[in-house]
Formats: sequence, structure tokens, C-alpha cells
Amino acid sequence: MGIEKVDIVPVLHVAVVDIGMGSRILNESKKIGISGGTIFLGRGTVKKPILELLGINESKKEIVLMISDKKIEERLHEGLTEKFHLDKPNKGIIFSSPVNRIIGIRTREDVQDSIVGGKESMEHEVIFTIVERGLGEDVVDAATSAGARGATIINARGSGAHEHEMFFAMNIEPEKEIVMIIIEKEKSDNVINAIKETMHIDEPGKGVMFVMDVSKTSGLFKDDK
Amino acid sequence: MSMQKTTKERWRYYLNILTQKMKEVIFSILPITVIVLLLNFTITPIGTNLILRFVIGAVFITLGLSIFLLGVDIGVQPIGSLMGSSLTRRKNIWLILIFGFILGFFINVAEPDLLVLAGQVDKVTSGVLSQTNVVVVVSVGIGLLVAVGLARIVFKIPLHKLLTLLYGIIFILVIFAPEEFIGIAFDSGGATTGSMTVPFILALGLGVSSTQAGKDSEEDSFGLVGVASTGPMIAVLSMSLLSGMKSLTGSLPYEAIDTTGVLVHFLKELPVMAYDVVMAMLPLVVLFLIFQVLFFKLSKKQLARIFKGLIYTFIGFVLFLTGVNAGFMEAGSAIGHALASLGKEWIVVLVGFVLGFTVILAEPAVYVLNEQIQEVTSGHIKKKAILYTLAIGVAVAVSLSMIRILVPSIRLWHLLIPGYLIAIILSYFTPKLFVGIAFDSGGVASGPMTATFILAFAQGVADAIEGADVLMDAFGVISMVALTPLIAIQILGIIYERKSAKRS
Repeated sequence: MGIEKVDIVPVLHVAVVDIGMGSRILNESKKIGISGGTIFLGRGTVKKPILELLGINESKKEIVLMISDKKIEERLHEGLTEKFHLDKPNKGIIFSSPVNRIIGIRTREDVQDSIVGGKESMEHEVIFTIVERGLGEDVVDAATSAGARGATIINARGSGAHEHEMFFAMNIEPEKEIVMIIIEKEKSDNVINAIKETMHIDEPGKGVMFVMDVSKTSGLFKDDK
Repeated sequence: MSMQKTTKERWRYYLNILTQKMKEVIFSILPITVIVLLLNFTITPIGTNLILRFVIGAVFITLGLSIFLLGVDIGVQPIGSLMGSSLTRRKNIWLILIFGFILGFFINVAEPDLLVLAGQVDKVTSGVLSQTNVVVVVSVGIGLLVAVGLARIVFKIPLHKLLTLLYGIIFILVIFAPEEFIGIAFDSGGATTGSMTVPFILALGLGVSSTQAGKDSEEDSFGLVGVASTGPMIAVLSMSLLSGMKSLTGSLPYEAIDTTGVLVHFLKELPVMAYDVVMAMLPLVVLFLIFQVLFFKLSKKQLARIFKGLIYTFIGFVLFLTGVNAGFMEAGSAIGHALASLGKEWIVVLVGFVLGFTVILAEPAVYVLNEQIQEVTSGHIKKKAILYTLAIGVAVAVSLSMIRILVPSIRLWHLLIPGYLIAIILSYFTPKLFVGIAFDSGGVASGPMTATFILAFAQGVADAIEGADVLMDAFGVISMVALTPLIAIQILGIIYERKSAKRS
């Protein structure tokens, strides 16, 4: 692994944990060397027939976004996995994704370089799909039928250039849902195609989809099929 | 990073989800249960049968509340916020006003708490204000004010200004209305916004305001319940003026405590509650189906999920109400009676404080409000801060009510008028988000737990004190519980703002 120590190699870490755990994740991460983070709410869905039948396959989640130098990545994953037992099922997941540039993040001088050990595994990708509010479930359905095991849905607002409107004093912005799906690389083409076909993403006004590389994951489990 | 999951682990997973949902509820029912058991085994023994009923009631309430909250989460609230956002997206002010009125009217007209209150008004006025009249007029009041509250969001009228106007109208009516009606009127504001109405109206407001861009979206998510609960007050006061009655003519029968039997009470209450809840939910289901055909056009899967939620809401609510009515109510009454008979007045006030503090933790709508605050502010306002502030507010309300029963020269309006004045004045200094939360929490705090357990406790105390009028003195307890959170939460808001200003 040729890590250049001259420049900062920024990495985005995303943790998806049960509601109420976000602040604890952030505090623990700060101890490890993260300078700060952003927490917001989402809901996680899992593919479990019994839970789906009962209507309780969704649970509220907190999502923590943190950006740091690549050299902390390994330690962050290990530290959080140990502290929050991410190696046990249903305790939450973390993934890290390379980003191009960061502005506004202070590097902490007090953090020692950690030796990046093990293999750099680019086994996963993360797919983001942004659709109209209420259609997130359909995206999840399409994705799970193509091999995904679950997803996180985040409520959001936003609009294309043509959608901004006023209603008396109200400034109306259409509501959206962001669906975040982590998937093994070998399955990702299938999942992307399935979502594209069911949601007609390639038609105008139907939504947006983008895919990012994932450099490291913790807390993911393979299905016991 | 892969692992094969065993069957055992899978079961642990399901168990985990269940316990996660129940853990919070257990922690909210436990305090009141422990307090009542402590009282029973120390100063106020209430007999084996009653305490058994209380414990069984606590189990019913725990189960019921867990299921109810789950149901509200995936059934009632999605309906409310879908209705709110789909109405706003049509961008037709008349549509919003008309449907705001229809929703407010029909969701309330079947609220069990309203039926009980209207029945009491019927009796104390010897039928001059009949039950049906009261139900219809109060529901019209709520319908109108839901429409006004929605229009406020659309036209960007500041919440504190609208509330000043509404409470100004109420104060003027209070001056002219017969004094005995004041208790009933202010009670009606809290009582009618019950556990079915509050989650729905909360979600409706959220739905409308969630379509907005920017900071307004957060601030306008709250306040609709607060505006709506002035409807019944204005309605009842106007009715008492128009009827020309000078004082109350009838009286209410006070039912003696039935100490025989344990389980029989639960069996008796269950079908009654099931009927009440069916009636309360029916308008919601019908309106939802109408909206589904006209606006929503949800997929089968989404529809199925919401109906599952409604079924949970039904089961949970029936279990909860059965537990409260069969288990908690008479225990509360017996404790109040036994406490007041001890002859030490400070104990009554102190126990009132402790009961008020703990009982609010078990109030269903409090959870719903808290969840919504979490969602809207992304967890910025801490759950515990809201919960404990509410608890302190309600504790003060109950102990003030006890003092009022013990000291007959203190009239209800001596507390209510200054209280609401303070609340309105504070709203000019409180951050906007907290004004909405505070005025909503008034309707939220005065739910079925207060309306049964605390009310029964107050009646028990009044019954044991000479010179206290059992039912007239008990009127007004709910209105106190609906008032103090307005002040408490606004003070919390001012503190929050100071703290975050210091930090930056």
C-alpha cells in the first residue's frame, strides 16, 4: 500500500446506527481522531419476510457523516467495531468512501499515523438513488429483488431547476427520498439495472442515481441462504 | 467481513427489535407503578384487589402503549403527513381550508374523551346544553381552528400573534361567562385533543410544513395542536353565553369505588373500549380512503402497511385504555381518598407532585410529540430535556390543583388567567420552534392518563375533604395540566437559545 504521507487523502466515513447512537458514535470517533461529524435521521429497511408481514421491517436510524484522512480509516473501523460490537448482527454498519477534495476540515496534529494493515478491499459500492417522496420503498423493493439485503431511506427536500414554486407566502420545495444501498461489486450492476428499469430513472423528472466506491466496510453480513 | 448467521442469532434479532420497542415503554410505566406500590405498602394501603388490578393494569398499559406507538408510527402519522403534504401540493387555499375543517371536525367528533366531557356538561346544565349539541359545536370549533392553523402556515402569520388573538378572544369570553363554566371550558381544550386527535393533527401540520423550503419548515411543524385546542374553549364559552345560563343547575353522580373482583373489571372494560376505539378510528379510516382515491393513489404495498399500522393502533389503544380504566382509575381514586384522610395536607400536595411527574411519562401522545421533535430537528433537541420539562410542568400543575382543592378560597381562574397571560407573554421571547412545541404540548400532556388517573386521584382527595365539591373541584385539573407545559417548555426554549448563543 503506497500511502503518500505528504498530502491528506480524504475519506468519507458513513455510519448507520440505531436512533440515539449517533452522538455516541461521533464522540467515540473524536477520541480516535475524527475532527467532527454531521448526524441526521433515516430509516433502515431489512429484507425479512416475517418482519415485513408484521409491518415492522423498518426501524429508525441515525446516519453519521465524518470526513478524515485515510490514515485514520483502519483505526476508526477497528475502534468503532470493538466499542459498538458491529461484528454482531443488527448493531449498525460503517463504510468509508474515497472523496476528491475537502475544504474546512482541520487535520489533527495530535493523531499519530496508524499503519495501514491488511488488504485494501474494494469489494463494495454504495448506490444513491434520489426519487419523489413515497417512492423510496419501490427502489428498495427493486434492489432487494436483485440481490440487495437492505437499504437506508433518508427524507429530503429538493428540486430540479424547473420545480421551484411559491404558494402565497410559502416557498414550496418538492419532497424527496434518498435511498442508500451498499452492495457487493459483483451484484451492483444487477441492482442498478433493476432500479433503473422499475423506476425509469433515465427518463426526465424521475430521479437521479449515482454510485460511489467503498474502500472499507464494517458490520455488513452475508445472507444465510 | 462475513459471517454465517445461525437460527439462534436470527431469533435474537427478532427479540432485539421487540425489546427495543418495549424498553422505552417499560421505563415510562415503571416509575408510576413503583410510586403507587410504595404508597400502598406504606401510608395508603388500598386493598389487595385494587392493587392487583393496578399491577395488571400496568401490564396492559405497557403492552398497549408499545403496540399503539408502533401503530401510530406506521399508520396514523403517515396518513396525517400524507394528507398535509398532498393538500399543500395542490396549491389551492380553498382546498386546504375546506379539508382542514373537514379533517378537524370528523377526527374529533368521535373522540371518546369529548363524548365523556359532553355527557358531563349535559348533566351539570340539566340538559340545557345537550350532549349532542356540545359534541357538534366543539367539533366545529376544532374544525375551524385546524383550518385557521393551516392558513397560518400558508400566509406566514407568526404563531405567537395568532395565539395572542385567540387567547384574547377567550379572555373576553371568560369575563362574560358564568364562573362555573370556566373549568369546563378550559378542560375541554385539553380533554378533546386526545390520543387519536393529537398524533393525527401533529402529523397533518408536519405534512403541510414539510413541503416548505428553509428554516420555516422546521418551525411550522409545530403549533397546529395548540391552535386547534383553543377551538373547544371558545366553543364551550360561547355556548354558555348564548344559553343565558347564570350557574350550573345539575350535579354529577360520584361513583363509589368498587373493590370486589379483579379480572372481571378488565373483561367488562375491554368490549366497551373496543367499541369506543372503533368509533374514534372510523372517521380516520374513511377519510383516508377518500384521500387515497382522490389524491394519494398509494401502491398496494404502501396501503397494506398503513392498514397494518391502523390495526396495531386499534389493538394497542384498546389494551391501553382497558388497563387505564380497569386498573388505574379506581386505584388513583382510592389513593387520593386515603391520602386526604390522613389529615396532613402537605402530603397530598407532595404526592400530587410525584404522581404528576411520573404519570406524564406514560402518556401516549407525549411519545408521539417527542418522536416528531426528534425527526424535525434531527435530534438537536434532546428527548430527555423535553420529557423532564413536561414532567416538572405537570407535577406543578397537579400539586397546584391539590392546593386549590384544599384551600377553597383559591379559584381556578386565579391560576388559569395569570398562567395563560404568562404563556402568551413568554411566546414573544421564546424561539419560534419552541413556541409551537410548547403550545402543542398542552394538548399532548392532557391525554387519557391525566383524564383518568389524575382526575380520579383529585376526585378521591376532594371526596375526603369536607367542603370540597367532588366533581366541580375536579373540573379544572385537566386545564391545569394543559397550561403548565406551555410555560415550562417555553422556559426550556429560552434556556436552549441562551446556551447555543454562548457556544457560538
